[in-house]
Amino acid sequence: MENTGKIVVITDLRTEPAKAAAEYLSGLGYEIVTPPDTVRLWKEEELTAFADPIKENLYGVIHPAPPIFKGGILEVTEEDWERESNQGAIAAFMVTKVFCGIFREKKGGTMIYLNSLHAEKPMGKGILFSLNCGAVDMLSREAAQDYSESGVNVFFVERGITTADDGRSNVSALYYGTDMRYPRRTTPKPDFLNGLLAFLLTDAAYPLSGQPIMCDAGMTGFYNQHRYKVEGREYFDFRKYRDQIEKGK
Amino acid sequence: MISENTETRSKKENRVALITGSGKGVGAGIVRVFTKAGIRCCINCNTNRAMADQLLEEVQSYGGEAFIYQADVTDPAQRKGMVDAVIEHYGRLDILVNNAAMQPNRFIDGYDEELFRWLWNINIGGYFHMVRECLPYLKESPLGRIVNISSVHGKRPTTFDAGYATTKGAIRQFTRELALELLGTGITVNAIDLGGCKIEFKTGNAKWVTYHPMEINNPTMERRNLLVVPEDVGHVVYFLCSEEAQTINGHGVRIDNGLLLT
Repeated sequence: MENTGKIVVITDLRTEPAKAAAEYLSGLGYEIVTPPDTVRLWKEEELTAFADPIKENLYGVIHPAPPIFKGGILEVTEEDWERESNQGAIAAFMVTKVFCGIFREKKGGTMIYLNSLHAEKPMGKGILFSLNCGAVDMLSREAAQDYSESGVNVFFVERGITTADDGRSNVSALYYGTDMRYPRRTTPKPDFLNGLLAFLLTDAAYPLSGQPIMCDAGMTGFYNQHRYKVEGREYFDFRKYRDQIEKGK
Repeated sequence: MISENTETRSKKENRVALITGSGKGVGAGIVRVFTKAGIRCCINCNTNRAMADQLLEEVQSYGGEAFIYQADVTDPAQRKGMVDAVIEHYGRLDILVNNAAMQPNRFIDGYDEELFRWLWNINIGGYFHMVRECLPYLKESPLGRIVNISSVHGKRPTTFDAGYATTKGAIRQFTRELALELLGTGITVNAIDLGGCKIEFKTGNAKWVTYHPMEINNPTMERRNLLVVPEDVGHVVYFLCSEEAQTINGHGVRIDNGLLLT
């Protein structure tokens, strides 16, 4: 197979899109490697020890955002702050430093942040998650500036909501009626970005490097309280969910 | 210039503001504009007490009302002490301006975990926890306002300070999330995306090597009129804290003299 012998590290397999990507890319011949639980992603020395033995065949890294953490500003604790900072921005920073450093030495490689539309669109009750997404967004742009000269491609993917995220409708109004928010009128499955991720791993994707790529299939590309029904065509109807949203608050 | 009407109304409102990192630089510019408009201020400084004293003297010379509280915004006890002092002094808190921040100037390779964590805990942790501390009082205000001083680097990379830009990206989303979360409380939350600003010096650079002349010392930028001054920021922040700005919420206002248009 074309991709045999190429190692792709997926740093965190806790989310469904990350698992789907691992399975798909494995089917394309990539060797998927994930750090064991003993490696804390915000610890540079642990990451380096993990990366050293595989660096010769290291081809790409996919760094998914951690699972969404729910909570308003007065609800989260100091421990929440510490944990979400660790696995959010600080982990992303150290992953970038270690793996992009290897790619720089190798004069090539791909770094993909499989992040969230919450790097752009707020959630309402997920302040720690979103601020970390915003941080990683800027980190990715800095990384592109720092490492691209050495042939490293850096992509920031703002993924949309999938069927695996449906259980979070008590987090945000954004999670109500997702089917009707998507122009295709159906919420994508967690594997909907697989083809895109495979493409980003190729060098042909380099023109997309260094800028966030909103991949939500048009979900947030409209004003959701503007029109509900136009000439027989139905759109997302905010009114249908108003009571539930209020309760969710 | 602040119009006479605005000044009169603000005096009547008798509002109170806490501005972190306001002993000098951008924060001091905000204090000057606020106090001239009749808003009573808590001037927060951490290390540069002498400059804060100088600012207080200046404020008092034109009849402004303020007091200094020396505190490190990363320290929970000092944060609480500062907010308690504001309530003790004035009995209320209407405006929080998060401004205290550092900019070490490093490429990604130049950061280790300790340095990045330190920066993270000041530049976004300080903002986050100050809001938590102030929110109960801001909710009682008829015109509660939060303004987060950020940077154009929350949207565009610096190419020379990954850690700084990362924290500014966090402030961008923090501002939007908070605005959404506080909808219906009357409190608005906005950010200032600041470009090059003419200030005395930047705290945080001194501890490390500065690899290139900073924009604040760049005479070319000054000649081309690309720098803003702290009072420019103060006027925009003052507007965002006014009643007229009630519907501006979750926004990042760019103040950079058009620098980022190219």
